[in-house]
Amino acid sequence: MIRHALKPCNLEIEAGQIIGLVGSNGAGKTTLLKLLSGLIHPSSGAAEVLGFTPWKREPAFLKQISLLLGQKAQLWWDLPAADSFRLLTEIYELEPEESRRRWRQLAQRLRCEEQLNIQLRRLSLGERMKMEIIGSLLHHPKILFLDEPTIGLDVVAQETIREFLGEYVREFRPTIILTSHYMDDISQLADRLLLISRGEIVFDGAVEEFVESRAGLRAQGEEDLDFEEIIREFLEEESRRR
Amino acid sequence: MRKSFVSFWRKNRAAAKLAILSQLEYRLNFFIDAYFQPLITTTVEVTLWYGIWSQGDFTTLNGFGLDSYLSYALWATFVARVTTNWMYESMMAEDIESGKINAILLRPYSFYSFYLSQFMGYKTFVMLGTLGIPLAAAYLFDLPVTFSRLPLVFVLLFFYLIFVHTVSFFVASFGFFMTRVHSLTTGKNIVLWVLSGELFPLDLIPDPYRQWAIASPFASGAYVPVAYMTGRVEVDAVWRAFVSVAVGLLVMGGAAMMMWSGGVRRYAGTGA
Repeated sequence: MIRHALKPCNLEIEAGQIIGLVGSNGAGKTTLLKLLSGLIHPSSGAAEVLGFTPWKREPAFLKQISLLLGQKAQLWWDLPAADSFRLLTEIYELEPEESRRRWRQLAQRLRCEEQLNIQLRRLSLGERMKMEIIGSLLHHPKILFLDEPTIGLDVVAQETIREFLGEYVREFRPTIILTSHYMDDISQLADRLLLISRGEIVFDGAVEEFVESRAGLRAQGEEDLDFEEIIREFLEEESRRR
Repeated sequence: MRKSFVSFWRKNRAAAKLAILSQLEYRLNFFIDAYFQPLITTTVEVTLWYGIWSQGDFTTLNGFGLDSYLSYALWATFVARVTTNWMYESMMAEDIESGKINAILLRPYSFYSFYLSQFMGYKTFVMLGTLGIPLAAAYLFDLPVTFSRLPLVFVLLFFYLIFVHTVSFFVASFGFFMTRVHSLTTGKNIVLWVLSGELFPLDLIPDPYRQWAIASPFASGAYVPVAYMTGRVEVDAVWRAFVSVAVGLLVMGGAAMMMWSGGVRRYAGTGA
């Protein structure tokens, strides 16, 4: 039996938008992220990102994007993050002094300058994630794919990363496509929501729009729910349908 | 053109440096890989050749005396340590199996080049660090070695390393199709242990297999360079070895490219 991870869908994303991809486990959000970043080939269909077909992985395309996987270290485990950043500086053909300045600035904002010269394997999960974020932003990507960037982190680390990403977006205006199971990530960062269920996009619009549409379904007199509860309710409905 | 070469060079130099730094994080592992293992193997092989000579009723074997075999055993193990690829092949396979490859696939740097630079960097480091041992031993025990032949030998070894890496890239690409490929690495390296001439000089193999073994690109992994240094063959054998490795590189490069393209197309972005 063939099971489609992602069914045919049409999607247009404008530059500078922050898209929050939400869905239950196995809904297809990470598959969409992997397709748009070029990590995997689709069985059929077409996509264009920054004028490139992502899965052709042309260097000119790869220099403009970044994929951050919350569950997978992408820096070098045995080395201090600063050494990995030096290698990334060469990979992305950045000017070494400017790159060094940038990773120090980013580390300052993420409050992790003191961990720059400690081997990655010796850092806590939160510190590692901060280093991963710096590594993914070093080359000023135009598009940032974030797959659960706050997964497994404590509340303080989650908040620091959210604040940092919010500031970064305001300053540099990259396009961000974000998946997360923490609805605070979505509600605080995303300006457009894509809800995915069973490989299909079932809602595409502003966060407020979604909240209003769900509120309209509630019986009069029922207590108002916040965003996280509404999403949870929606996901539970979806899980039951699956 | 100049800018792209400079950036290519800087990128690969940085990856080579990364390999050396990573290995220095595990100094004991490096010491065992670069010094202890070849020392043990040399001791075993030298003992074996002494044993063969003390039991046999001959003063030469295939036209060469005991000194020649001792010198061969000494050099072959150290040279083969440089030209064998266990570690980086396993790392490449593990990257593919575990999804660590994602970090390279989405960066403007090819997986092949990334690991080739690391492999070359590490092997250069090993070569500089360990070949002093056979050099010193050959000098101290007055074993037959023509030192003026060393530069050409190093050129052949570096060329062969590119071929070895390509074979490893081919083997690791099976990771896209199989859950575990470590058995392939083990099998391949056992075959190369014999075919490279690390175990014994390939000229001891009876004809016609001897000609085939010496003509194969794998002979450049130990036999040709060591036989040339120790006076078992002349320079024409080295030129033939260059041609053989070049042909091997073309064939293996084509096969690896096919495996890789097929694998990447079916890759599901493991781990994300």
